[in-house]
Amino acid sequence: MIKQKMKIDKERIKLKKARFPAVIATAIVCFLFWLLITGQLVMLLEGEPSWQVLVAGVLVSVGVSLFSAKFFIHSNPFYIWHPKRLGAALLYCVIIFPWELIKANWDMAKRAFSPKLNINPGIVKIPVEMESDYGLMALANSITLTPGTITMEVTEEDGQNYFYVHWIDATADGEEGTQAICGTMQKWLRRIWK
Amino acid sequence: MSELLFFAICFLALALMLIFRIAKGPSVADRAIAADCVDMLTDMALILFALYSHRGIFLDIALVTAVLGFIGTTFIAKYLEGKL
Amino acid sequence: MRIAIDILIGISLFFALAGVVGMLRMPDTFSRMQSATNITTLGVLGVIIGAILYTAFVLHNYEMTVKLAIIGVFYIITNPISGHALAKGAYKHGVRPDKEMEVNRYEEDLGE
Repeated sequence: MIKQKMKIDKERIKLKKARFPAVIATAIVCFLFWLLITGQLVMLLEGEPSWQVLVAGVLVSVGVSLFSAKFFIHSNPFYIWHPKRLGAALLYCVIIFPWELIKANWDMAKRAFSPKLNINPGIVKIPVEMESDYGLMALANSITLTPGTITMEVTEEDGQNYFYVHWIDATADGEEGTQAICGTMQKWLRRIWK
Repeated sequence: MSELLFFAICFLALALMLIFRIAKGPSVADRAIAADCVDMLTDMALILFALYSHRGIFLDIALVTAVLGFIGTTFIAKYLEGKL
Repeated sequence: MRIAIDILIGISLFFALAGVVGMLRMPDTFSRMQSATNITTLGVLGVIIGAILYTAFVLHNYEMTVKLAIIGVFYIITNPISGHALAKGAYKHGVRPDKEMEVNRYEEDLGE
């Protein structure tokens, strides 16, 4: 099964050449980053930028994005600039995910401090409903970041993706397991990444 | 603000307490994860000291320490799995 | 403003203490990894957010603010990757808990 997956990866990387909108999209993000780091954003707002630094930034960002555009963008270069997806991403990063983080951290701190440890570890297998690569990565990272659950493997069986998750208090398996571990996060991430 | 210095010393004391787990842990993964946590706790002490002495150069050291810690842990994990 | 920064760093210190105590007490390798993510998420985010507020509103030194934001984003993206890699590598190497886990779907599917 591992040899099949490696052949599919090589085909996918060889077919795409660096197309023009992908290079432009990556170059815009690189240039914003350059403005932040060299301190020109504050000077642009005050009215006296230094032109040599800006021209050097444009050259460097176009040069870098020519080489690396085909690793970052898979199908549609301006996918994230839709207003609904940007709003959902901002809401997820600022309000929903920190609240889940604080709840799980408090639960884990209570278990660490209690006089007799009440833990019940186990590895469960849960079905998830994401399809794109970025979505699967975001969900697996979100599950591992909250204490109490660690993603161990990502597999696929007849068109449905499964996660193997090590849980410190394994109570449910299958569909109820998905609701208990990552119900809220999956609902919001489906709005961003299909 | 001298309470920043007090917090930095507390973080260093927590990092020293984790050395016991590096010495005892019965498997390699225990030692690797404890070393990663010692890395992060000393990073936090460096950031608080940079705030106390108003110099921005300590933050560069903190960034490099974080990157090296992550790379070391991931290489040990890939070797244990057998796919290095 | 200074009281808010002190409260944020104090919360971070409390969760780091809970993570270290959990790591010294837990009886099993994988449970110790769960306690380690306790240190590296809220133990780090509290300090970084408090430091961003301090450098932006009290010191007015915006270069340090940008560097701290870069450190924070880097931690959030790469910390779960190393945790997942270490857990998977330890299981394939042969580390098992002392007491058998009740539910272990991974063992049943690994043999195929």
